[in-house]
Amino acid sequence: MASQTEIYDATKEAVVGALGVGEDEVTPEATLMDDLGAESIDLLDILFRIERSTGVKVQASDIGEYIQGGIPDEEFGDDAGVLTDKGFDQLKGAMPQIDDSQRGQLRAEEVINHFTVQNLANLVQQRAGGDSG
Amino acid sequence: MGTPASTRPVVRTGVDIVAVARVARLASEDARALDDVFTPDELAYCRRRGSANEHLAARFAAKEAVLKAFGTGIGRRMRWTDVEIVKERSGRPCVRLHGEVAAWAERSGLTEVDVSLSHAAGLAVAQAVSVWDRPPGGDDALSPD
Repeated sequence: MASQTEIYDATKEAVVGALGVGEDEVTPEATLMDDLGAESIDLLDILFRIERSTGVKVQASDIGEYIQGGIPDEEFGDDAGVLTDKGFDQLKGAMPQIDDSQRGQLRAEEVINHFTVQNLANLVQQRAGGDSG
Repeated sequence: MGTPASTRPVVRTGVDIVAVARVARLASEDARALDDVFTPDELAYCRRRGSANEHLAARFAAKEAVLKAFGTGIGRRMRWTDVEIVKERSGRPCVRLHGEVAAWAERSGLTEVDVSLSHAAGLAVAQAVSVWDRPPGGDDALSPD
């Protein structure tokens, strides 16, 4: 199994290749959507590049699974779409960079905008280890 | 006003634009990517056309537009192939839902979904309109953002 560093490097290389951005822009904290401007088709490209270089298959829908864990939609967000305490606790496990001040405010549909290069590398690492979370 | 909010149909739209060259690059680098995005019927239809990448790009935009109109994006267990764009006999495109997207839409009260596609000057664009019997995802409250 590839090391964490190898997985991160492969993730970074895939992001640089798919988005055509500079290596210095692709930091662990950079968000794929907001900071680096990735769109859905770019995400698909990134995931295939990662698969080619690491052999680890990650589907776009796996990102949602990684973020939400096994929590049903109706328990992850409330009726207004804001993350519940249970949902927020799960999110903090998957994306620890999310600030606690967002508790009770962050909407489920906004979470993907906070997904970083490091989060993606962690997801690939999880898939590489066969741990579905 | 006048009609209770819970009985009013709710309309949500979604629009997406895709560079044809972006789809062409993805297809040339890894053709398997197409199988993750398009159904066999969609691929067969596009490959029969003279400019397959334009048609593929339009369909990708349409899938994105539908998922934007639903407010979900690619959610858990959803696949791009769950949103299929098919042609009616008249040539008009329509949306066929499958899998988790179909299940989510049914649970959320979808009554109608329609889509329109176009492409020109290297860009493909699609707009989707969805009608619901209640606010999908419970997003009836106005947000300041």
